[in-house]
Order: sequence, then structure tokens, then C-alpha cells
Amino acid sequence: MLDNILSILIFFPALAAMFGFVIHKDSARAYGISVAFIELALSLLLWFSFDSNASGMQFMEQLPLVPAFGINYILGVDGISLFIIILASFFTLIGIASLTETKNVKNMIITLLFLQMTMVGVFAALDAIVFYVFWELSLVPMLYIIGAWGGPLRIYASIKFFLYTFTGSLVMLVGMLFMAYFYYQATGVWSFAILDWYRLILPETFQLWLFGAFFVGFAIKVPMFPFHTWLPYAHGQAPTIGSVILAAILLKMGTYAFIRFSLPMFPDASVFFMFPIAIIAIIMIIYTAMVAYAQEDIKQVVAYSSVSHMGVIILGTFALNVEGITGSIFLMIAHGVVSGALFLLVGVIYDRRHTKMMSEFGGLASVMPRYATIFGLMLMASVGMPLTINFVGEFLSLLGFYKQSHILTLLAGAAIIVGAIYMLAAYKKMFFGKVTNEKNRNLPDVNKRELLALIPLSIITIWLGVYPKPILEPINNSVESIVQLMHDKSITEEAKSRIPNLIEGIEITKTSTQGAH
Amino acid sequence: MIEIGLTHYLVLSTILFAIGLFGVMRRKNLLLLFFATEILLNSVNIAFAAISHYYGDLTGQLFAFFVIAIAASEVAVGLGLLIVWHKRHGNINLDKMSTMRG
Amino acid sequence: MELYLYLALFSPLAGSLFAALFGASPKTIVAGVVPSVLLFVSFVSSTILLLHILSGGDAVHVEMMTWMATGNLYIPFGFVVDQVSVTMMMVVTIVSTIVHVYSIGYMDHDKGFNRFFSYLSAFVFSMMVLVMSDNFAGLFIGWEGVGLCSWLLIGFWYEKESATWAANEAFIMNRIADLGMLIGIFLVYWNTGTLQYDKAFAEMQHLDTAILAWMGIFLFIGAMGKSAQFPLHTWLADAMEGPTPVSALIHAATMVTAGVYLVVRANPLYDLIPHVGLFIASLGAFVALFAASMALVNRDMKRIIAYSTLSQLGYMFVAAGLGAYWVALFHLMAHAFFKALLFLGAGNVMHAMHNELDPFKMGGLRKVMKGTFIMMTLASVALAGIYPLAGFWSKDLILEVAMIEHHYIIYSVLLFTAGLTAFYSFRLVALVFHGEERYKLFGVHPHEAYKFMLIAMSPLLILAIIAGAFKMTYFEMVTQVLPATEYHIHSALTYWIMTIGTQLFVILAIAYAYKKYQVAKEDPAMEKRLCYKILINQYYIPYFYEEYLVKPYRELSTIFWKQVDMKIVDATVDGIAKTIYATGEKTREMQSGNLSTMLKWMVAGTVGLLSLAVVFGLAARYSDEIKVFLSGLGV
Repeated sequence: MLDNILSILIFFPALAAMFGFVIHKDSARAYGISVAFIELALSLLLWFSFDSNASGMQFMEQLPLVPAFGINYILGVDGISLFIIILASFFTLIGIASLTETKNVKNMIITLLFLQMTMVGVFAALDAIVFYVFWELSLVPMLYIIGAWGGPLRIYASIKFFLYTFTGSLVMLVGMLFMAYFYYQATGVWSFAILDWYRLILPETFQLWLFGAFFVGFAIKVPMFPFHTWLPYAHGQAPTIGSVILAAILLKMGTYAFIRFSLPMFPDASVFFMFPIAIIAIIMIIYTAMVAYAQEDIKQVVAYSSVSHMGVIILGTFALNVEGITGSIFLMIAHGVVSGALFLLVGVIYDRRHTKMMSEFGGLASVMPRYATIFGLMLMASVGMPLTINFVGEFLSLLGFYKQSHILTLLAGAAIIVGAIYMLAAYKKMFFGKVTNEKNRNLPDVNKRELLALIPLSIITIWLGVYPKPILEPINNSVESIVQLMHDKSITEEAKSRIPNLIEGIEITKTSTQGAH
Repeated sequence: MIEIGLTHYLVLSTILFAIGLFGVMRRKNLLLLFFATEILLNSVNIAFAAISHYYGDLTGQLFAFFVIAIAASEVAVGLGLLIVWHKRHGNINLDKMSTMRG
Repeated sequence: MELYLYLALFSPLAGSLFAALFGASPKTIVAGVVPSVLLFVSFVSSTILLLHILSGGDAVHVEMMTWMATGNLYIPFGFVVDQVSVTMMMVVTIVSTIVHVYSIGYMDHDKGFNRFFSYLSAFVFSMMVLVMSDNFAGLFIGWEGVGLCSWLLIGFWYEKESATWAANEAFIMNRIADLGMLIGIFLVYWNTGTLQYDKAFAEMQHLDTAILAWMGIFLFIGAMGKSAQFPLHTWLADAMEGPTPVSALIHAATMVTAGVYLVVRANPLYDLIPHVGLFIASLGAFVALFAASMALVNRDMKRIIAYSTLSQLGYMFVAAGLGAYWVALFHLMAHAFFKALLFLGAGNVMHAMHNELDPFKMGGLRKVMKGTFIMMTLASVALAGIYPLAGFWSKDLILEVAMIEHHYIIYSVLLFTAGLTAFYSFRLVALVFHGEERYKLFGVHPHEAYKFMLIAMSPLLILAIIAGAFKMTYFEMVTQVLPATEYHIHSALTYWIMTIGTQLFVILAIAYAYKKYQVAKEDPAMEKRLCYKILINQYYIPYFYEEYLVKPYRELSTIFWKQVDMKIVDATVDGIAKTIYATGEKTREMQSGNLSTMLKWMVAGTVGLLSLAVVFGLAARYSDEIKVFLSGLGV
């Protein structure tokens, strides 16, 4: 079973979703929870049997699809993708368990299970075409979730979301085809396998063009400034569950793809574009934080804060050293947990009052103390308080980039200031002060079902903030191999000096032992 | 007296083609449209025949016969449809035929 | 010894979690007593550790577990109890135990009683982490932790707009400084390869001075925020919105001194960069004077004490900046005792006066509040630096340091400030406890605080009186890790002239304060003066921040959202989509179903294709010429 665990992880939810059509709608929720629970158990089994000390791909599976063009069904996980897969199944479970929509619950659950298939597929795929298929397929359930269960502007938002990301992905697809073509030219064999592509050393100009093509697809998905405007609409209109999954998992596809594709395949281009991208990241951090500060709708605050945090992730990724990349991957997970929790929290208040405008609230701390406490915890995690999950990621990302540039890190570090500003301002507007609106006077505090979702997230937030080692270690090992690969592959002097050589120490000892003989 | 050469035939063919093209664009009467189409086809036939003669290669003239045959059958089918249309609608005005409007 | 270390560190956390269990329930006395007892445990453990260190034992160093490890970075949860940290631990546990016990009385009628103790104990835990960590990252955990607890406690009465505003201001301003601190930590890591104090400091001896200077500056920026040094000082006065025990513990005795602790802890670094040290000392002297001047005219009891804290922090930074680390730490300790006492006394007065803060509305309280009167007077005497109370020993030493190091400007500024300190302290005492009983006008019936609160305060009183006696013991202890420079004026005559001169000056200032404010009367002439206006408005700095930083930030944010994000970025995206859509709409007419238009389009297409064929044909035939032509154009 372990040999095919990745395929099972991908297709079990899809299969379950098919069966879901014949389930009676009253038992749909129980069915969905049990499927998601089994899936989570499977992904935890994956973690359990994962060898943390190995840096390469594990649980590899291979099946030929179109052998003539080197398109194969290849799966595998390493430390980078493992935890995002677990996060995906975790959030699907939490999402289904905390689902409050009464309208068409069955369809929602089926959609979520399909979405889960595509999410796991994206992170497990090691073949560019398979990756692309899952990448695009993930749009469909999300389009449906926003379009069918969303707010008043849902059609506009969902179409914008779909077309925008789809356009970007098409450019990426062209890049993939060219990459395969170059591989064919170099070796005489067609291959879309990512691990094969890793071995191909491209001239710098080719790298720049291909990097650009991939960049368009990834940057829109992340979303990076100035391609970010679909996100506030999508979040603003999506139902709670949609926002949670979107923020927690779907956005991570972009940053994950940067680490999976752009960095190891185009090390020289990565170095070449490092500073421009860092500047975009800084704009994302500061500019969107300011935009978040100006918002009147609490959900939009969280949505823009996502963009701001993604800026830090991008910065850490393009630090191009082990500290930074490890930090950025950890921050992906951290941001998934924290922003997912924040969206759930917004959903809690929306369920009660059917509004998200902050001016409608005020003084909630005395009405809903437990809610205020959990919100406060997530707020502190979001602003990067040490001993919460976010801090580890932010600290490492910024620390890593500091090696590359002092000034830019100083600017990016403003994240901890501007982040505090908008979050505290929002918290003050909602929770502090006197209860001014009579409608808020008797709001019930968080109920059991909501706690069921929020408590595990709170525990994870603190647990991984205090003891990040179980996750940090496998990530670190995989990142080390990627950084070493980048260093070995890079051709320009600039890149060689920017990307650290990790096995330097070993080489020195080798020569010294030779000298001794 | 000037020798009539390939150029003259081609110029004639071009002029006829232009006339035919103009006819295709401007005519609203379906019957006249068929005439214009015939002119187009025949201008091409002239060119085929002239070039074929010029190169001494019979393929071109063969092709011209082919075109004539096709044109004849096309006109037959076309005229048949035209008569049916006229019977049904009482006109053969091109602008009235818009059941295919998208 | 490790057991005691863990006990000292984690008992406050246990207390906090225990009180948090009752967070949502109505007041339970247990939620206050248990954390206090646990803090007492922490205090006893710290004392045992102190005795261990005093008896010549080695520093206790434990590594609990790994926190972060990636690449070359390795950060453990490591704790060290050495001479410096044990001093801080003693200060923190003594003051916080007392404040906890005191708060049981002070918060008696507050509905957030349980919550308060949870926050307060969490603060103590963070503070212990801050002082006990053996690396910069651990320090940063505590650093941010105390910031968080300070936010929670300043905004404790969250229904008050001013309180929540002050809480957010404090947090954000500290965050600005924390960025500096973070950058300092990055610099340390990338230049020394480690964040452990001992290894990093050892490595720093080989580094370039410029890099060290940057490290020192950025770390000091962090210290400036926590210790509220200019220009990040405005939050401290506003933080007085919090409950008074909080002001005593956090904003007088412990958290604000974290900056001083950082400089003391990083003494091997600052020893290598004396010019940065001089800057620190100058800024300290400036802040000492600057804050004292604002305290002169203020009409809010707690703010006066807050400015006094700020001023004393300036003194500490002078000592630390000039390399007299042990002196700075000594003053930190002495100051913690008498300042906490002063604040707790102010809390009693506030309770008696039903939260009235304007000393001009009090007067003559010594008759009804004898205990508080004695304590606050003695604390003020200590603060003023009168022999033989604690303040004399520590403050006089700082003046001597400035003298011996030949920084005469700093010396004179500090001397002058000492006079101001005496003046404003006794202005407050005179206004509150002496003179007419003005409160009667407002129909207030003051009463003394609970007896156990006064008893709880008494250890502080004793310490404020006798702390000077420990000077030599303390000196011998801390100089095992800090540079052991003894500061003695060489000629005995100069020493006596200086000491007696200072004492006389201070006593004169006290006498003047008594004379002027014995009979408190409004002085409209003075209030019209420009310098009064500047001082009462805190040099217009809060106004400046509000007008030129906060408002523009808010406006810019709105512009970014409404103009840039919506009207430029998003409009461009929508514009592209609309153009494509409009093109479709327009070209749809081609497919009108009208045969003659379709024929026209067909003809146009044919013509277009034919002409393309001609162009390409020509281009292929004349390709050589075109190439020549293009190269002539420089393509």
C-alpha cells in the first residue's frame, strides 16, 4: 500500500466524491467528514513513513502515459511538498467539519473532495504535464465554489479568478513545452519529468526567457503585485470555506512552484531576477499592508494581509540560501494555518451578523470573550509573535535574504511594523471599545462545531511555534539538496557567488586528507 | 504590331478577376452573383491556359477543364437551389437571406 | 541547580495558565493567589540561584531543546543564570511578587480580575525568558513577549478608547524598534555564524569595527524602543492608561529596563565600539534632561512618575554607554525598587481619590493615608538621591562615572537633571500629601488602602532604603562577568566637594518644591508662558507624530486602496479584459448572417492573403538586398 500511497491520496477523494453523488443528502456531511478523516490519516501515515533524513524524492510512482513524448505519470514527495499535502488534507477536513452552509451541502462536499484531489495532485506531481493538468483542474472546483455559493458579485469574482489565473497558466504551459523541446534538443529524448529537467543546464538567455514564462503563471497564482487584484474579489465573494482553502492551500501552489521549477531549473535566471523580484516582494509587503489598513471589511483585511505575507514568502524563496528557502516553505505552512484560521474566524462572525463591515462591530471582546481570545491569538501569530508558527517562517525568510541585501531586508522587515498596524487597528475596531450596536449585544460565543475547527489550529499555531523541528528538519534536508543543485548547475560567476556551496567543507577535508598522505 | 504574349493574357485574366471580385462584393441579386462567380472562375481558366501554353505543360489546361466541369455542376446545383428559394420566398435578394444570422 | 532554574522560569507560566483557566468566569480569589504563590516560588528559586552564584558557583547553563535549526543556523532554547541574569531575575521576581500581592487588593473590584493575573504572570514569564536566555533569539522571544503582555495590560480596560489607543501605540512603536533589533540579530548571525552570546561575542573580537558599529547601532535601536528613548518615547507616558500595578511592574521596574539589560548583556560588543557607546551616553543624558523637564509641569500623577522613569533610564544609558555596565545595572536595580514603590503608592492614592489623577485636586492626604505618605516620601527621597537611600549610591556613582570619564557636559546635564528630579518628585509629594485638603471640594472621601497591600509594599520600602548597602557585594559578584572598573575620584577633596555639593543642590531643589507647592494655587501667569506650553504639550512631539506620521499614513493607505489599487492596477486588468470583450462584440457583426457582408469579408480576406503572398514572395526573392538594407539601418 505504501508503494502507491500517493496515488491513493490523490484519487481516493475523487473516487469518494463520485460515490458521494449517490449518498443521501442528510448523511452527506458525515460521509464527507469520514472521507476527509481517512485522507488525513493516510497523509499522516505518509509523514510517519517518510524518511526525514533523506533529501531526495520518496514514494516515487511511475506509469507511462504518452511515452513517445516523454509524458509520464510520475509522483513523489520530498520535505518540501510533504507538509503542504498534509496541510491540504487537514484543511479539507476542517473545512468540511465546520461547514455551516445549509444550501446544497452535498454538492459542496463533493466539490471539496474533488478540489482535494487536485491539490494533492499538484504537490505530488513530478511530471510537468501531470502537474499542469492538476494545476488547471484545481481552478474548476474553486470556480464552482465561488460562483455557486458566493456573495452578490460572485459571477464577476469567479470569472475574474478563473480567467486571470488561467491566462497565466497558459504562458506557463508554453514555457513547459519549450523546456521539453530544449531537453529534446540537448538529449534527443522527449521528457517532461521534472527530475530530468533538473539535470539540464541551459544557456543564460534561454533561462531568462523560460523563467519569464514560468514566472507569469506562478506570479498570478501567488499573487504577486501587480497581479494581485483577483484575490480580494475572490476572497470577498467566496464563502468561508472557499476563502479558507484558497488562502491556505491554493495560493501556496505559486510559491511552491517557484521552488519546484524556477529555482533549480534556472539558477542563473533566479539570481538575475533576484533583485527585481525582491523589490516586487517589498512592494507587496508594504503596499498591500497599507491597503489592508484602509479596508472597511474585515475579510478584505485578511485577504490583503495574505498578499502581504506572500511577499515575505517570495522574499525568502529568492534569498537562494538554505535559511531563506526553508523559512519560506515553513512560512507557507504557517501562513496556511494562520490565514485559514483567520478566515474561519471571520466566517464565525459573518454567520452571526451577516455582515463583515468592521464599523458594524465594536466591543465584541466583552460579548464573545472566547472568540476574542482565539482571534487575538491568530492576530498575534499573523503579526509574527515569537513562539507562534509565523515567526519561525518570517524570521528565517528575512534572515536568509539579509545575506543578499541589507537595505532590501530592512525595507522588507517593515512587514513586522505595517503588519502590526493593520491587524491591531482592525482588532481594535472590532473587539475593543463599548458595545455600540444593539445587534451585537447578545451574540452567542463560538459554539462547539466552530471550536472543533479552531482549537486544533490554535494548538498547531503554538506547537509549531515552540517546536518547529519535526517540520523544519525534513524541509531543511530537501532544501539543502536543491540549493546544492543550484550551485552546481549555475554557470555565471554572479550566481556561483550568490548561491552558497554547501559541500565546500567536505571538499576541503578531502584535499587535506590527500595532503596528509 | 505587338506580339500577344503571356503578359497580355495575365493582364486580361487579372482584369476579369477584378471585375468578378467586384461583382461578388456589390451584387445583391443571387443570379448576378452566380455570373460574377463564373467570371472569376473563367479569369482563372484563362490564366491556367495561358501559362500552360507558355510552359508547354498540359497540366494547366487539364486543370482548366477540371474547373469548367466543377463550375458547371456548381451552377447546376446553385440554380436549382435558387429556383427553390424563389418559389418559397418570391425573391432572390441576398440581403433577405439571413436565417443564418449569428 | 537546574531544577531551580526551571522552577524560576516556569512557575510564572504555570501561574498564568492557571489564572487563564478562570479567564471567562467571574472573579475568583484563587486566580490571584495561586499565581502570586507560584511567583513566590520563582522568587525563592531565584534567591537560591543567587546564593549559589554568590558562593562562587559556576553559572548555570542549560539547553532545554532545539528551537530552530536549518542550514548553519542553530537556535536552542538555552538558559543561563550568571551574575548578570541572576541580578535581573532577583529584581523581576521581587517586584513582581510584590505587585501580584498588591494587585489582589488593587484589582479587588475589577471584573477582569482573573484575566489580569493571567496577563501579569505571562508578563513575568516573558521577562524571565528575556533575561535568562543564552542567545539573541531567545532574548527576542522575551522581548516580543513582554511587548505583547504590555499591549494586553495597557489595553486591559479595553472599553476605554484611550487605553486601547495607547496599547496599540505602544505595540507599534515597539515594533519599529524591534525591526532594528531584528536587523541587529541578522548582522550578528551572518558575521559570527551564531546567535549564542558567548560564541558570538568571542567571534566579534575579530570583526571589522564598521560592522560592529552597525551591530551595536541596530541592537541599540531595539533597546531604544523598549526603554522608550527619544524619539520613541511617547508611548511610555500614554501607557499609564493601564492599571497602576502594571505601570509599577512593567513600565517602571522591569520591561522598560530591558534595553539597558541588552546593552549590559552585549558589553563585549559595546566595549569594542566606544564611539557608539558615547552616542548612547549622550542620548541617555539628553533623555534624562528632556524627560525631567516634561515632568516639571505635568498635571497627571502617573505621567509625572512615568517621565521620571524615562529620565532615570537616561541615567542608566549614560552609565552603560560609558562602559560602566555594572553601575548601570546597579542603578537599574535600585531604581526598580523605589520606582515600583512610588507607583504602588500612587495606586493607593488613586484608589483613595476614585481614579483622580490631577494632584492639584488632592492635597493634605497625609492625614488619612499615613502609610502611603511615608512610603511615597521615602521613595521620592530615594529617587532624589539623598544619602543614605538607594538612589544616592547608584545615581551618585553615575555622576562620578561621567566625571571620571571626562565627559563634563554629560556630567553637568546629569547634575542639573538631578536637581530637576528632586524638584518634580517633591512637587508631587507636596501637592498630594501636604497643603489644604482640596479634594473636599469634589466630595471625595479618601481612605487608606488595605493593610495587606501596605505590608506587601514594605519589602520594596526596605530595599529602597538599604539597597545601597549591597553595593560592594554586588560589585564583586557582577564584575566576574562585567568589566570591573572601579570608579573613584582620585582626590578625596574633589570627591567630598562633589558629593556634598550634589546633596546640597538636591536638598535645595526639594526645599524649593515644598515652598512653591505647599500652597497649591493655579498660576495663570506661568501657564501663559511659551516654555510652559511647550512642556505641557510634551514639546509637541505627540502632536507632530499624529499630524505628520499617523494621518499621512492613514491617508496614503486610503489613496493606495481607492486610487492606486482600484483605479490603476485593477482597472488595467479589467481594461484588458474589457478590450478583448469589446473586440469580440465589435467583430461579432461580421457574422451577421447577411450573405453579402460575409462575401465582402471573404473578398477582403482573399485580397489580404494574396497581398501577403506577394509580399513574402518578393521578400524571399530580394532577401539578400533586404539584409543589406537592414544592416545599413543598423538592425
